[in-house]
Amino acid sequence: MRSMGRTDLPVAQREALRKAIRWEWFTIGYTSVTIVLIALVVGGSQAMKTAWIEDMLSLIPQVSFLVALLLIRRPPSRRFPYGLHRAMGVGHLIAGVALLIIGTNLAIESIVGLARAEHPAIGTVRLFGQTIWLGWLMVAVMAVTVVGPFFYGHAKSKLAPPLHNKVLFADADMAKADWTTTVASIVGVLGVGAGQWWLDFAAALFISCGIVWDGWKNTRSAVLDLMDQRARTFDDEEPHPLASRIVAQLERQPWVREASVRIRDMGQVFHVEAFVVPWRGRVRLDRVEAAREGIAKLDWKVQDVVVVPVTSLPEETSSPHGGGKETGP
Amino acid sequence: MRRAVGAVMAVLLAVVVAGCAVQIPSDPRGTLDRVTGGILRVGASPSGELVRVDAGEASGPLADLVEGFARERGAEVDWTVGGEEDLVDGLETGTLDVAIGGMTDATPWSDRVSVTRGYTGIPGAGERAVVLLLPLGENALQSALEAFLDEEVGP
Repeated sequence: MRSMGRTDLPVAQREALRKAIRWEWFTIGYTSVTIVLIALVVGGSQAMKTAWIEDMLSLIPQVSFLVALLLIRRPPSRRFPYGLHRAMGVGHLIAGVALLIIGTNLAIESIVGLARAEHPAIGTVRLFGQTIWLGWLMVAVMAVTVVGPFFYGHAKSKLAPPLHNKVLFADADMAKADWTTTVASIVGVLGVGAGQWWLDFAAALFISCGIVWDGWKNTRSAVLDLMDQRARTFDDEEPHPLASRIVAQLERQPWVREASVRIRDMGQVFHVEAFVVPWRGRVRLDRVEAAREGIAKLDWKVQDVVVVPVTSLPEETSSPHGGGKETGP
Repeated sequence: MRRAVGAVMAVLLAVVVAGCAVQIPSDPRGTLDRVTGGILRVGASPSGELVRVDAGEASGPLADLVEGFARERGAEVDWTVGGEEDLVDGLETGTLDVAIGGMTDATPWSDRVSVTRGYTGIPGAGERAVVLLLPLGENALQSALEAFLDEEVGP
């Protein structure tokens, strides 16, 4: 039998992937410029420092997406019989945990700063023969860099669903919320300028809570997929509709009495185990094989499929007849 | 939810900028306002040519600069002489407005007090980039002082 998993993509997905890769490189370039610009003006503002670190952290999902892409193209082997699709999930987890830990750290820093009433010091710079308050430059830099994430955030969020890629989706989600960070840091800096030193820490706390929240969401989603929760849509909103389509397709076969399915999300593609209870005690091999191929034709994501004839359906599998119980998280 | 919080922040921003109608930057403790036309309390720690101390009064190029700054602000200088750590304590507790001495831009006090940019053009400073210390986060005072020093001794 030829190899079961899939590492190539249909035309539409290949096109979406090409665009996604281009956007990821663009984002990395854009964010690097932002990081350098902020480094020049970061000064004594905790909000600016937090926004700066957030920018650095935002590179992790992009880098892990690009690295994972290199790995998941490899065909399944004896050593990795399911292929290397989980690389995407590992990258997702790394990004999530990094955000969670560093976000918590930054949140604690701003609370401590607030409690100790450390007034942020923002001095001046000498620019073109003028002495300018550094805060104005901070505001200018943040105002200039606010536009980028709008463009690449929306572009990526359109590409995530056709690719069923959660890393890309999470990345786009964070980019779309990035303007709140920018606005918060501007509020913090202007607050310091107006003598309201606490606004700087309040803004920093707001930004770090955003980082923690992103980290929590990503870590949770990555862990649930790595623990093989049943496959859900790219945004984790609902169980993936492919499950019921596969069951319906199987139950249309005249030799099948009932069917159910167990699907895990491997990152970009699914691994499907379908269980069928035949009407009779004997099943012809070519029918099982045909059922397998029928499922594989349903969608590009479901190429790694096994069809198992059984006497009764396992309880934890998804079927329209009450077998689809969902307990736990 | 983040959208809503963002909007609240934007409103807050408008309130801060419009409502306060203050100069930016300004001092949380209002040091610059108090000093202007009043008394500038300066701590001095002796350092070679830069700051000489004699009978509770400081002199030397750096002390002269501070006197100049006070004059520009219409203020009298009230000198306190002490070691660096005493001066930093004074800035923290609010008994001093400025501290001078042989501190450079590598000063370890920067997490307790505000530190001006380093100035190399002060006579007697040699190769060092000399800084002045201020109460932490008194940004209007720092801006005014740095602007004065930029004019007097170059950036």
